[in-house]
Amino acid sequence: MKMNKNYNYAFIDEGSKREIRRTILKAVAIPGYQVPFGSRELPIGRGWGTGGIQITLSLIGPEDVLKVIDQGSDESVNAVNIKKFVGLCTDVKTTVKTGEATIIQTRHRIPETPLRNDQILVLQVPIPEPLRIVEASEEKTKKMHAERDYAPMWLLLYESLIRYGKITIGTEYPLMVEDRYVMNPSPIPKFDNPKLKDSECLYLFGAGREKKIYAIPPHTFAESLAFDDVPFEKESFKGKRCRLCGSEDTYLDELFDSATGERMYQCSDTSYCMEVRGCI
Amino acid sequence: MPSLTKIHSFDEVFDSQRLFRQILTVMANPARKVNIKEFADRLHGDNPGMLAVAMTLLDNEVGFCAVGNADLAEEISFLTFAKREEAETADYIFVTDAAFLGDAVKKAKCGTLRDPHKSATIIVRTEGADAGELSLRGPGIKDTVSLGAPQAVISAIEMRDAQNYEYPQGVDFIFISDSGELFSIPRLVRKEAF
Repeated sequence: MKMNKNYNYAFIDEGSKREIRRTILKAVAIPGYQVPFGSRELPIGRGWGTGGIQITLSLIGPEDVLKVIDQGSDESVNAVNIKKFVGLCTDVKTTVKTGEATIIQTRHRIPETPLRNDQILVLQVPIPEPLRIVEASEEKTKKMHAERDYAPMWLLLYESLIRYGKITIGTEYPLMVEDRYVMNPSPIPKFDNPKLKDSECLYLFGAGREKKIYAIPPHTFAESLAFDDVPFEKESFKGKRCRLCGSEDTYLDELFDSATGERMYQCSDTSYCMEVRGCI
Repeated sequence: MPSLTKIHSFDEVFDSQRLFRQILTVMANPARKVNIKEFADRLHGDNPGMLAVAMTLLDNEVGFCAVGNADLAEEISFLTFAKREEAETADYIFVTDAAFLGDAVKKAKCGTLRDPHKSATIIVRTEGADAGELSLRGPGIKDTVSLGAPQAVISAIEMRDAQNYEYPQGVDFIFISDSGELFSIPRLVRKEAF
């Protein structure tokens, strides 16, 4: 896409970029802590990835290669439009190959291909506050984080265990970062939670509507919450495989054919699936 | 007609972006060194590396203190419009002379348990050869890393540790050498106990 030079490079004005950059550095220095920032207006509604976009626009430069995914797909509406928007206000190359990208903006998945230290994964976050599910007041959740008071969160997990025999949180499964902050990993499946621990790459989380940025630097201790006698369990796809590439160790989407009643499985990470099949 | 010449050739859009990525790399990977000489060369004065960092991060929304260096304070203020403040309230503290380091660390704001981000980043000029090795551990470091460090770095970490901050309170350091080497030691990175 041809760059529109009527806008500042990367759309956001330089003063706003500086504030977001300062916020990112603080977030990296205090892993898991939600740093407030002055979330800017963008030509896209809040709640549609504006936190991630603001981080991406503050990071990006002519030498970058950008990949955008939505639920693992490079071709879905959110991903395609964010890529178009960034293309309009920068001249960066875009890619679907995870290995080629320097910045990957994502909604709800972490790519299957292990990320490198020179890559940054930017996650779009709808609700950054992991304690919101147990406490509605921002004032009170700030205090709970300050006091490391996570008892209500542990109670929630315990009640789920007692009621259903297992912890029923599907996505946004909370993590403890550096034994200090309980953090919301954004609505990624539990399957992706272990990728946040002791990773090679930097993870940045942006919540535009809620005006928060937080981070997990490489090689950071980020452990999914679990009890000593009830270990963390991610989704299991035992006995199932991708109908296209045959992978058995990836996160699979279930497809249902209502005419035949047949259930099929397919890699959620479409570019990984295509790479395995040699299509890209 | 006289031509208009800029006092520096640091590009506020593209040099800022590239230097920010270098700073982000060292903050996310403590003790890793990057060289910012190409950016420093586009500025002027006795501390061009510090001016480059200031131009990347500072503006009129933040306060700074250049401890014991009125010339640097004047330059930063002129280039960035950042507010001059005392060390106790500054968001960014620039230390060019190791003699002022102890005072800067003692006075630097460390945030609160509720708002740990309201803390200072201390940017320290380092000179001379390495005076020892630091073994460091913390987020961004796989196991431990050994860092050959000049005396100013060793002193800074000792002075910081003497403050006994209760994490997440603390201060973050960025070190810049005269040759343009830049690295960082954020608050959670600790000296490995022997």
